[in-house]
Amino acid sequence: MVSYLRYLAQRLLSFGGVVLVALLINFIIPRIMPGDPITTIIMRLSFQGAMYGTEELVEEYKRMFGLDKDWFTQFICYLRELLHGNLGYSIVNFPTKVSDMIAKALPWTIGLLSVTTVISWALGSVIGAIAGWKGEKSKFWGYLAPIALVFQIIPYFMLAIILVFLFAYLIQIFPMSGAYSVGRIPTMSLDFILDVIWHSILPALSIIISSLGWWFLSMRSMIIMTKGEDYILMAEAKGLPEREILWRYAFRNALLPQVTGLALALGNIVSGALLTEIVFAYPGMGWLLYNAIVNVDYPVIQGVVLIIVLSVCTATFIIDVIYPLIDPRVRYGVE
Amino acid sequence: MARLAELKLMFKSMLRELSGNRKFMVGFTLFIAIVIVSYVGRALTPYDPLAAGMFPIDHPPCPEHPLGTDSLGRDVLAQLFFSVEQSLIVGFTVATIGTLVGAVIGFLAGYYGGVVDLILRSFTDIFIVIPMLPILILIASMVRVVSIWMTATILSIFAWAWPARQVRAQVLSLKERDFVYMARLSGMGSFEIIFRELMPHMLQWLGANFTNSVVWAILTEAGIEFLGLGPQKTMTLGMMLYWAMYHAAVFRGLWWWWAPPIITIILIATSLFLMHVGLDEIVNPRLRTRGG
Repeated sequence: MVSYLRYLAQRLLSFGGVVLVALLINFIIPRIMPGDPITTIIMRLSFQGAMYGTEELVEEYKRMFGLDKDWFTQFICYLRELLHGNLGYSIVNFPTKVSDMIAKALPWTIGLLSVTTVISWALGSVIGAIAGWKGEKSKFWGYLAPIALVFQIIPYFMLAIILVFLFAYLIQIFPMSGAYSVGRIPTMSLDFILDVIWHSILPALSIIISSLGWWFLSMRSMIIMTKGEDYILMAEAKGLPEREILWRYAFRNALLPQVTGLALALGNIVSGALLTEIVFAYPGMGWLLYNAIVNVDYPVIQGVVLIIVLSVCTATFIIDVIYPLIDPRVRYGVE
Repeated sequence: MARLAELKLMFKSMLRELSGNRKFMVGFTLFIAIVIVSYVGRALTPYDPLAAGMFPIDHPPCPEHPLGTDSLGRDVLAQLFFSVEQSLIVGFTVATIGTLVGAVIGFLAGYYGGVVDLILRSFTDIFIVIPMLPILILIASMVRVVSIWMTATILSIFAWAWPARQVRAQVLSLKERDFVYMARLSGMGSFEIIFRELMPHMLQWLGANFTNSVVWAILTEAGIEFLGLGPQKTMTLGMMLYWAMYHAAVFRGLWWWWAPPIITIILIATSLFLMHVGLDEIVNPRLRTRGG
């Protein structure tokens, strides 16, 4: 128990450090860059036809972020606004709040990624187990490993482009882009949900295929290692059917590291497939970020990056805290 | 002088092992082939591969333009020859900086231990834990990236952390070996021990990890450039893909524009990865028996 508390304190400290660094980066980088962000904002606004009222906006910004004071005060103001959920306003879609834009995009990303991550994990683990078990005896299962290795090298967004080309351009089965048909209003009707699923098949497929290799390879090597264990030999000696040995003995024991992997992957959901969304114009965090970059919308870029970093770090921290309670073999990271 | 001969011997046996490793040789041959083809191709291209409006636009592959032309009237194959070099320069620069900085930090942390280790390790851990892509995007979007050197600098911010952690772990295990005790007893200074006793053991191992760093750098570079945050004034493989996507090449059926950079990136990454696996097998002979 004491060692767990020590571990907890250690994790908390490193979590705090990471969050602080993330906040500092987000705070400092725009300030050391040449050019005054406020001037940029006003310039852009006047391009968009804002003839008056910009002075008031500047005053509002300066008051909100204490821009006339020293950096330390500015940082405190920045933190204060952040705690109130204030990430500023989008320049391009003024006066939309950055936090509102993120709140709209986040569910799409989380929805797509959580489903695909779990499917890919389950599929990869099962195929990996069979391949690890039969690897030496059968040619087919043996060849799967090198194929999986090659697939792992292909960056996921490139695989997405290839899939779009094959199944939306060459053979026009699936829609090319978007999360639902153009002109539809999101409702909770069955019709709309089916439309969403139909649109998500191709992006989902690209994510599943590109992460499948990793789950496959790790499960395969776990099963290969388990094969030499005494309890497997014992089960074989008892004359148990092979199917039962694989799934009830080897697979179960190999599953625990896979569960850790799944937990970590779920923690990375928000940043996991940013580039896939761009290929499919899928309205999640990646697409929001891409549009902000194209339109040079600094507050949105900063807001999205901060939310991604904070959510990934928080998820990792939660997993770190829970994990030793599930798996007592974890040595609390003490060296 | 005795040490020099020793190094020579080590080098020779390394070469012999490398040429006997099939994975390494396949990867190495593929890599060299890509480099030679791109350089010869560049030398044979009589015009500027980046100048717009030289040829008819969106032209499918034909004898004059084996990979067609893009929407700005540029020859795709000529662009590809040019981009391979640029992308490789970024990859190797980032991997070199990352490995060197990582090695120094890892050596210091592992060798000195104590407070030095605590500070350096916490610092390294933060860079490993923080999701890299969003931070790189933030930095690249604030700086106006125009040259490949800026891309390389930005990528280097994260490239050192993983090597640093691994070097530290290696040094920790080497430090306890007898020959280091002997060196210390014989009155060698810290730096002498690091460079004369520990370095030779680490060199092979750093080499194996270097190829991995290059793969990482090239793929991460492609990802950042795909967002449009790459060097605006030149062409790399990632920028080729970005411009192809920007001009909706996939939806307009211009496969000769978007497919070549993808295939080339995958080929380069595969060749370097095979070299990495081969080197890894030589450095850790235990890996060889594990199949796959």
